Amino acid sequence: MSGRGQVSFRDIVKMHGEFAALRGVSFDIKPGEFFALLGPSGSGKSTTLRSLAGLDAPTAGRVFIDDKDVTFTDARDRDIAMVFQSYALYPHMTVAENIAFPLEMAKLPKAKIGPAVQDAARKVKIEHLLDRKPGQLSGGQQQRCALARAIVRKARLFLLDEPLSNLDAKLRLETRAELKKLQRSLGVTAVYVTHDQEEAMTLADRMAVFMAGEIQQVGTPADVFARPNSIDIAGFIGNPPMNLIPAHYADGDVLIAGHRLKTTAAIPGEREVIVGLRPGSLHIAADGLKARVDLIEDLGDTAVLDLDCDGTSIRMRVGDHDVPREGDTICVTARPQDIHLFDPATRKRL
Amino acid sequence: MAPSAIAAAGTGSEAASTDYGDALALRERRFAAALLAPAFLALLATTTFPLMFLIWTSAFRMDLAMPFTNGFVGFENYRVLLSDERFWSSLLVSLVYTGSTVALQVVIGLALALLVMDMKRGQGWFRLIAILPVVLSPAVVGMIWRTFMLAPEFGIVDFLSINAGLGSQNWLGDPVLAMVSVIAIHTWQWTPFAFMVLLASLASLPEDIYEAARLDRASAWQRFRRITLPLLRPAIVMVVIMRTMVALTAFAAIFTVTAGGPGTATEILNLYAYRKSFTELSIGYGAALAVALLIVTIIISGILFALRRAK
Repeated sequence: MSGRGQVSFRDIVKMHGEFAALRGVSFDIKPGEFFALLGPSGSGKSTTLRSLAGLDAPTAGRVFIDDKDVTFTDARDRDIAMVFQSYALYPHMTVAENIAFPLEMAKLPKAKIGPAVQDAARKVKIEHLLDRKPGQLSGGQQQRCALARAIVRKARLFLLDEPLSNLDAKLRLETRAELKKLQRSLGVTAVYVTHDQEEAMTLADRMAVFMAGEIQQVGTPADVFARPNSIDIAGFIGNPPMNLIPAHYADGDVLIAGHRLKTTAAIPGEREVIVGLRPGSLHIAADGLKARVDLIEDLGDTAVLDLDCDGTSIRMRVGDHDVPREGDTICVTARPQDIHLFDPATRKRL
Repeated sequence: MAPSAIAAAGTGSEAASTDYGDALALRERRFAAALLAPAFLALLATTTFPLMFLIWTSAFRMDLAMPFTNGFVGFENYRVLLSDERFWSSLLVSLVYTGSTVALQVVIGLALALLVMDMKRGQGWFRLIAILPVVLSPAVVGMIWRTFMLAPEFGIVDFLSINAGLGSQNWLGDPVLAMVSVIAIHTWQWTPFAFMVLLASLASLPEDIYEAARLDRASAWQRFRRITLPLLRPAIVMVVIMRTMVALTAFAAIFTVTAGGPGTATEILNLYAYRKSFTELSIGYGAALAVALLIVTIIISGILFALRRAK
């Protein structure tokens, strides 16, 4: 690890007039980490990235890079490279000129620029396109050109603002894997903004989940998936997301639609709770919640069942060998450790 | 039996439809020609015919003061023209006038556009006020400048000059100052045009490439030189071409302000052709001067268009 590219956000607030885009965001990124900012549109993740890049100044709070306060440092002086969602290639320059631009601005001697451009282009496999203008490139090629421009200068931070969102599905999967390998081989700190949880889960070492201008949870993807700390995150992460069912809790058990399910919770007494059940953690059993199969979405190797459980709708994922038929009544259950409990009032995990 | 009949009918109708298509196309062409004819004839009558007549006239000696010398002289007028010192000096004045007004319009227009782009409020008002000079007639602009702005003692410019300690200047009587004045007047009136075109072009440039350039560590000047200027190039070239053609054939503003004077200090080629034709009444020679101006305009615009196509 290079030891460069450590980021700290301290209570960052960003107001757009009366609207608070960020309401006190704090998090830390370790050097060499692939860190994802995940959240739905308008949750503040792009605003966070722009504050980090220095393109927008926060209304309040402090940004530190490598322990230096850069809150009011211009974007020029932060030593940050960025890949824009729109790629932001210079339309009048060839691919080679685009990649060379940050080096020319850094006043690198001409003799060093040529080889560096070749090297960056080779890393993203666009050596054969160096003489073209951006307008003559496909979306995927433009994206690679933007990547090459970002990696050619050895910046201490590498920001990516939804870089894959304009690519088609197949290319997105290929590029995703290459991006991860590239970041590993460069050993650079990367901050990645996305609204696609699958991208965040597969790419990130750690991620911050944004909701309505606040960070709801920071952790490894596995952590966030296994232990979502609020109803909002539980309803956002996972595809399909967690079933959230109002239920009555009494001494370790929950009562859903007249059926009692064991949990691992050790909270004494009785209360109302929201039960979280991953569609994949439900299984068909001889004894359990009685449910009618309303609809089957066949995904090939698995299927998602829409179940009607005494008026409550539940989604369940099953393997292709035990798909029931629409209209059947089945019994489903979950292991005690797979049952998540949330407080309906605070929306936090219990 | 039945299928062959259908086939026959099919072929028959196909042949008929081709004939019908041809007839229709012919009718369409005739109709289009009929629609175009009035405009075409009007253009022929108002531009092509006068132009031909001008060239024809330039081959005659046509002196209203001495009608007895009139007659066909062929290229004689052009031979005289090439050794006419006043022609060369007026051509030089034309080139200086055109070159400096166009350069000033582009530079000031671009600077204004860049400033206004960064204005958070009042952009609409600024544009509205800026466009006012353009809608005035050049003759009116000339009168305004001669009376309100440049008149000794009372004109605003002279008043400012006196207050600045430069003293009262003979703005339109001094040969150099007169040239400066007519250049300033033309620039004042037409810079808003360059401003509007360049502002529209600037507004269409994407915001994100400037952010990318900032992250790529380009300074404000480098962003202007390496990104804004190259991307504005088509618009700038277009402004230069359009303004050059107008400046070469400028007339009314100079005519009302200095009428080419003092002496021939502000006498552009257009004005010389006018004076020759309608003051000295040498219509034939005046026509030759006008043709010379036409040739100069064609050469310059040819060069500019070639520049536009290059890269």
